[in-house]
Amino acid sequence: MALEIEFAPLSVEELPALAAEKKAEGARFVQLLAVNTEEGIDLVYTFMKGGVLTNHEIKGVGPDMTVPSITDQFLAAFVFENEAHDLFGVSISDIAIDFGGNFYALSQKEPMTIISPEQKAAREKAKKLAAAKAAKERQAAATAAQAEYLAGHPDAQAGSKPRGPIEPSGSDDLDARLAGVDPEKVARVKAALAAKAKKAAKAEAAAKESALEEKLAGMDPEKAAKVRAAMEAKAAREAAAQKEGE
Amino acid sequence: MGKATVIPFGPQHPVLPEPLHLDLVVEDETVIEAVPQIGFIHRGLEKLVETRDYNQFIYVAERICGICAFGHSLGYAETVERLMGVEVPERAECLRVIWHELSRVHSHILWMGLAADAFGFESLFMHCWRLRERVLDIFEKTTGGRVIFSVVKVGGVVRDIDEAQLAEIKRVLEGIKDDYRQIMNAFLKDTSVKNRTVGVGVISHEDALALSMVGPFARASNVNYDVRMLGNGGYGRLSDFQPVLDAQGDCYARVKVRALEVLQSIDIIEEMIAQLPAGDIATDVKGSPAAGAQAANLVEQPRGECYYYARGNGTKYLERMRMRTPTSQNLAGMTTALAGCDLADVNMIVLTIDPCISCTER
Repeated sequence: MALEIEFAPLSVEELPALAAEKKAEGARFVQLLAVNTEEGIDLVYTFMKGGVLTNHEIKGVGPDMTVPSITDQFLAAFVFENEAHDLFGVSISDIAIDFGGNFYALSQKEPMTIISPEQKAAREKAKKLAAAKAAKERQAAATAAQAEYLAGHPDAQAGSKPRGPIEPSGSDDLDARLAGVDPEKVARVKAALAAKAKKAAKAEAAAKESALEEKLAGMDPEKAAKVRAAMEAKAAREAAAQKEGE
Repeated sequence: MGKATVIPFGPQHPVLPEPLHLDLVVEDETVIEAVPQIGFIHRGLEKLVETRDYNQFIYVAERICGICAFGHSLGYAETVERLMGVEVPERAECLRVIWHELSRVHSHILWMGLAADAFGFESLFMHCWRLRERVLDIFEKTTGGRVIFSVVKVGGVVRDIDEAQLAEIKRVLEGIKDDYRQIMNAFLKDTSVKNRTVGVGVISHEDALALSMVGPFARASNVNYDVRMLGNGGYGRLSDFQPVLDAQGDCYARVKVRALEVLQSIDIIEEMIAQLPAGDIATDVKGSPAAGAQAANLVEQPRGECYYYARGNGTKYLERMRMRTPTSQNLAGMTTALAGCDLADVNMIVLTIDPCISCTER
């Protein structure tokens, strides 16, 4: 007999029937665990029979939901149901031995639902990695599709023009348009354009700074202080280099 | 019947090494109901997985319990290896089995000493702990530590055991076996021990199954289940493994099962040493567990089956790490065994079920 591990989805409504079925077939209750996610609390009920360890997962249990207890079928679950209530705030009804929130002596309520700055940063990083991976896959798929199309349509390949970056309209174009205009007016237009560009750059810098501040506020204070120190050092280096250049 | 009275038992009690509280509802001298209460020392170690990467957390995992320390590091490492699809070298798997079985020997002998102390046989307690010291000496020589070894890592182990040390382990275990048989005889044949244990705190086979009990306490009620029989890791190399069983389900049966398991563990170690393959002791593990990936695992700790669960989030930190310890599973069985017993037998029943609160409260 070798160990087999399975994962299966489950809903709150199906839970009592599943517990009764597992009891009837002589399965053993192994454990109940909770995982704090952005969509709510995931609950994983585990049963075992004949070397097969089956994990049934209920996704996203919200604060307004009540989960029925399975202690009527498996008394051993009372420890885990009280734990899920005390540590994760999951509302479970009709627990055979219900400690009413006093199973663990805790200094704060539902400590496992607190998202630490490290966890938040890890989640953001994971999201970015997943997005980058998806973008890479999309790009690879598009390239492959284009290569396939070109292989089947040689004419399209011969007639196609390579796409390059679109040249921005530069000051040469502006000079051409202003040729023959009163020089005083030209000077006023150029000054107005320069002021507008400066204002836009300032607004962009302010937006960047506020976004950075927001990000630093969500980080571990120690790490945030390190990042600030590194940025200040970089700014000082740049200022020194600029001064030297002048 | 007399008037029902509630007698508090623990969390501080001479017979309890750890803080467990029981509200014993007593009529005359008979316990009619027992309500357990834990939660005095909850440490939140599972939450620490958010701030320790998956390699660092192994040092937290082995600090969950001072007796099952090696077992927790082994269970954690195996779970992360499943999560990341890591193949562990065969030699490392066998070395893990040797240390894990040595941990079982020391845990069982330690517990037998505590049980002897509980029923007032102090010299037997001292002999047990004297013997245990020799097992701890093996740990010290092979790992550098006596209780916390830090010898397991994700992907294998950090230390090898050379031929000279293997020969030394065999020699020491041979000596322990002789001494241990004498101690075991005292536990299983002495009249005063039997007076305190035979027929006390019976858990029937049906109750043990219905209450999902695990470990030696379930095997003492003839539940034929031991994670080692599933052949995980190095245990798959054993020629034959049959769990030690007893049908009586009382305190004596629980003592007997654990006592015989010491000899079984020594046999397993000798078999592993005899067939230890040559080769690497670890695989390089790179990368991070994938976001949303999950893995579960079982390990037979000295007190019974321990369940481990891990979920990745695409970074080097795990999203969730869960350890379900055998005591969590056996609390319901303990309350059932206590119902109907004499007040004077409560300490024997609690000790023979051996709740480990530091494991349970992590």
